[in-house]
Amino acid sequence: MNEQEHIDKLMLELRRGTITIGVLSQLSSPQYGYSLVTLLDEKGIHVEPGTLYPLLRRLEKQGLLDSSWDTNEARPRKYYVLSETGKSVYEQLCVEWQSIVSSLNDLILNKGDDVNGDG
Amino acid sequence: MEMVNRYVYAVTQRLPQSQREDIAIELRGLIEDMLEERVGDGGNNTDKMVEEVLMELGSPRTMAHKYRGSKSYLIGPELYESFILVLKIVLISVGITLVGAFAIKTVINPVEILDHFIEFIVSTVTAIPQALGWVTLGFALGEYYGGFKAGDLKLDKNWMPSMLPPIPHPKKTIKRSEPIIAIVFYVILMGMFGFSSNYFGIFRFSDGEFVGVIPFLNEAKFPEYMPFLLLLLALFIVKECLKLISGKWTMKLVVCTTVVNLVALMVVYFMITSQSFWNPHFMEGLMNAGIVEQGTEGYEIMETIWKNVTGATVIIFIVALLWDIVDGMIKVRKK
Repeated sequence: MNEQEHIDKLMLELRRGTITIGVLSQLSSPQYGYSLVTLLDEKGIHVEPGTLYPLLRRLEKQGLLDSSWDTNEARPRKYYVLSETGKSVYEQLCVEWQSIVSSLNDLILNKGDDVNGDG
Repeated sequence: MEMVNRYVYAVTQRLPQSQREDIAIELRGLIEDMLEERVGDGGNNTDKMVEEVLMELGSPRTMAHKYRGSKSYLIGPELYESFILVLKIVLISVGITLVGAFAIKTVINPVEILDHFIEFIVSTVTAIPQALGWVTLGFALGEYYGGFKAGDLKLDKNWMPSMLPPIPHPKKTIKRSEPIIAIVFYVILMGMFGFSSNYFGIFRFSDGEFVGVIPFLNEAKFPEYMPFLLLLLALFIVKECLKLISGKWTMKLVVCTTVVNLVALMVVYFMITSQSFWNPHFMEGLMNAGIVEQGTEGYEIMETIWKNVTGATVIIFIVALLWDIVDGMIKVRKK
């Protein structure tokens, strides 16, 4: 495995968890699959539709999302929106995320200052 | 649009029936959305565009895999270790049985070695996949109904260091090799009784050539006993499996051993003390073969042995099975 392959693999693992938070963040109002792909893309989070669609179904199965079919448009679309559980899970995830970001920033930005640790 | 239909079909074919319709509509919508976006950029809805979109979505196999989620395995990591262990034991036993049968047949009848070898190859080709299949089926069912898994995971969640079992006294541990050897032995016995009980007797040779067997068992009645015998051996195998899993002598294990052994003892007792279990023409067979002659000392010795064989077998069984229990008991009580 060369350097780029290592990076790709690690990035894949890193993205996997963050995509879920990204998706939940955009679903306080109902969205259908492809509108969510575009929405996230505009904000710099690139998700393959092939990843997003199954993810939405999984989150719905877990009870974090509610869904409804809209058949009024030219083609039927399945709209997803945060459920009550989903809302509270999302809020807690945000807190966790913030704490990870600040801890990691601490580690990355202050790496030279604290070589000997505190012991 | 033909290509899109094919794609949707290829994906949904790989999914559970209940989800197919829903996912088909969703996928079709997605593909149309993606096409629309491209047309919006300037251009027509061409076959080339459809192809591009489908390329972006990836192969139907990958897509279906993502929809199915993570559980696309037959036997998961929780059961994998014990699966491999049981599989090894079973395959080794089957292998030994097959090679053993081939060896015995060749010794008995070396002229037809080629036939024996062909039989050996044929039974290898049929028996090994069968063994593999049954073991896998058993574990796959275990995985599917997930009884073990849920329990194990729960245990792990509530795990505390205080739950660590004490390291067993070396005298209390059961070496893995002991139950494994026993299982192999029982499987071979099963094979023997199941397929070649007629070879269970005294081999007659004339001028170094095999001419026949004087069987110990009553061949006419034996098929009636065989199911019990096979069940009994299966019960013994279960017992050895428990030993293998436990890895050390515990009170529970001793109780299980006791129950199994008592049942076994009763079955064996009723079976071999009944009139029709042993070959009623055994002595005649010996005479006809010219091994012993009526009225000689040799004949009387053989007859005494033959008449006492039942009693001796029962006693050997009682001693062996009781020893199995007592041995366990002693080892549990050791500190």
